[in-house]
Amino acid sequence: MADSTKNKITVLMVGNPNVGKSALFNRMTGSNAVVSNYPGTTVDFTKGTLIEGRQEYEIIDVPGTYSLEPRDAAEEVAVRMLRDCPDAIVMIVFDATKIDRGLYIALEVMERGMPCIVAVNMMDAAHDKKITVDTAGLQRLLGVPVVATTATSGEGIRELAEQIRKAQVADLDAILKRLNGENTAKKQVSGCGGCGGC
Amino acid sequence: MVAVGGAEQMVLSSDAVLSSDARWEMVDRLTRQTVTYGTYKRTLGDVLGELTVKPLTGIPVAVAALFAFWSIFCSFAGALVTDGFMVKLFDAHWLPWLQSLWPDPASWHYFVFVGDPLADNCFEAFGVLTSGLFVSIGVVLPAILIFYLMMTVLEDSGYLPRLAVLVDSVLHRVGLHGYAIVPAILGLGCNVPAVTATRILETRKQRFIMMSLLAIFIPCGAQLGVMLEVIPDMVGMVFLCLIVGFCLFGYILNKVIPGENPEILVDVPPYHWPVKENVAKKLCNRTKGFLKEAVPFVLFGVLVVNLLYLGGVIQALAAFFEPLFVTWFGVPKETVGPLIAAFLRKDLAIAQLSVIPMTAYQMFASVVLISIYFPCVATFVVMLREGWKELIAALAVLFVVVFAYGGLIHAIGILLGVA
Amino acid sequence: MQKKLFELEFGDMAVVREIHTSHHDLNCMGLRVGKELKMITKQPIKGPVVVLLGEVEIAMGLDMAAEILVDVIGTDA
Ligand SMILES: Nc1nc2c(ncn2[C@@H]2O[C@H](COP(=O)(O)OP(=O)(O)OP(=O)(O)O)[C@@H](O)[C@H]2O)c(=O)[nH]1
Ligand SMILES: [Mg+2]
Repeated sequence: MADSTKNKITVLMVGNPNVGKSALFNRMTGSNAVVSNYPGTTVDFTKGTLIEGRQEYEIIDVPGTYSLEPRDAAEEVAVRMLRDCPDAIVMIVFDATKIDRGLYIALEVMERGMPCIVAVNMMDAAHDKKITVDTAGLQRLLGVPVVATTATSGEGIRELAEQIRKAQVADLDAILKRLNGENTAKKQVSGCGGCGGC
Repeated sequence: MVAVGGAEQMVLSSDAVLSSDARWEMVDRLTRQTVTYGTYKRTLGDVLGELTVKPLTGIPVAVAALFAFWSIFCSFAGALVTDGFMVKLFDAHWLPWLQSLWPDPASWHYFVFVGDPLADNCFEAFGVLTSGLFVSIGVVLPAILIFYLMMTVLEDSGYLPRLAVLVDSVLHRVGLHGYAIVPAILGLGCNVPAVTATRILETRKQRFIMMSLLAIFIPCGAQLGVMLEVIPDMVGMVFLCLIVGFCLFGYILNKVIPGENPEILVDVPPYHWPVKENVAKKLCNRTKGFLKEAVPFVLFGVLVVNLLYLGGVIQALAAFFEPLFVTWFGVPKETVGPLIAAFLRKDLAIAQLSVIPMTAYQMFASVVLISIYFPCVATFVVMLREGWKELIAALAVLFVVVFAYGGLIHAIGILLGVA
Repeated sequence: MQKKLFELEFGDMAVVREIHTSHHDLNCMGLRVGKELKMITKQPIKGPVVVLLGEVEIAMGLDMAAEILVDVIGTDA
């Protein structure tokens, strides 16, 4: 319904601090958000535009947060943005070397019933640390697109941009079932737009 | 392990809200199925990371790093570019050229744009196109260039959180915690982003203390650049004075302001080499920001001050404030002019001080006064955005501090027999 | 042997047993009951404690570290 006015889709970039959200944001939108190697670099939101396959996205880089229970004023901004943009797609950014923390906030976001896509960033750092992340497995389990990226080199950015339109509302029950080894695949494919890519 | 059937029901029955334990349970199961850890060999970066956070090795490294930072700043900004190049360019070419070109030295527009027709250097001329340009381009630009370059390296390497750990116990005494070093260091570049960066502190009390101390005691890069040029020998003393004030008034604020003072809890990210493109990009953006926002302000500031001089306003104010300035702060009454300019740009104010005849001690006291007095208008605006109640309270603190600390410094000066 | 977190010596490895403070915040930073950690440093004059949790280093205040109970499982030189 928001599309009738502007035809712009809002994408919020949410994730732990220092996982490379701003770096990804700059790559996707060509903006100049500040990127530094300490948690809490971004303390306010920044907007940018991405045009991908004739669709215009308004991407919003928000401060990093450890959970949706804000600890400080910067995290409050992130939580407020999620509340103020209920129609937005949420791009959840993980640090591949700290998947567990990322998953926690991902589950919190998914519980809100917002369409999600996951970017597993810092793949190069994970590789150096001999950590392997099965992104395909994660995608299967979570039921939302999961893309491996390295913001510093630009790897995976194209794919990430292409996958935004496939963002899905995650079904926590289905995730639990899949964790138990049940097959819930039929629901999956229908949402995929039939590209056959996944 | 939580029974899965149970967790399932929880999801179905309530409005899809999990307890945080149930969430962690799911997280663990998801990671177990998708992430594998190989054997990891520690790298040089990890070893360095530990060495720079351990007190025995970390504190000497921090002292050395900050000292290196400072000496590079001084030698590059002060000696190399400004004295070696800019001063020659502006004093030997630009100023005489303007003075010969601009018509009618007795007119008001000559006074406003070129300044003193007899001046032989760009500091003293004090016209919009002479001092205004010289201060912003000749002095401040090289200073903030090198400052931002070094700050970017600090930011991008991952050293800041380690520095935060090292200074935590000191900052804890003034109601903050170690991570307040982030807004403090950003503030040494420019107070404006630093005020917003106080959002990383947890409680309102901490944010308020940091914001007040930032606005009062942390000089910005532009101001530092001009200080290096005007009073190169006294910068260290001024700094010491500001640090003492920071700790003293932080300690008092911590005692009087109600509220909590939580401890530090922060990620210490691994070191990595600053990415060249990112460093260049940040440097470029910050410099552009300076050229777009600060330079016009400096020029505008000179214009306003000159017009106020022409209108006799500054002379009147100087006469009015003379008793206060001379007896309480121990500085000449002419300091009123720079103090008005300080509201627009502190770098400009310090530059203006250099033309007022006064003793070394008076110079020192005026520089400190300008530093701690009212934040510049840009800082003022962002503070307002963070909350008007805080701003008003911060201004109240500021008045008290300016009077108390200004008077205290004067008293010490008298005791030492230099005032 | 159960100890308070800040009582660990440099290089000690331990398993987290009980967390009696800022449970949620610590969990979100990766410090959870059952996780292994290693003591990196303790700062002098009541300064913070830095521990390594798997791949992540976190720094926390001393009072916080006093509220976390751990079991020492060994030392890593
Ligand atoms: N090795 C590696 N480093 C990365 C990658 N992406 C980002 N970084 C680095 O990680 C650090 C943090 O990046 P930011 O983009 O500032 O992180 P952020 O998520 O915006 O952080 P906050 O604003 O604090 O929430 C920077 O030093 C980046 O250079 C990556 O894919 N690989
Ligand atoms: Mg950011």
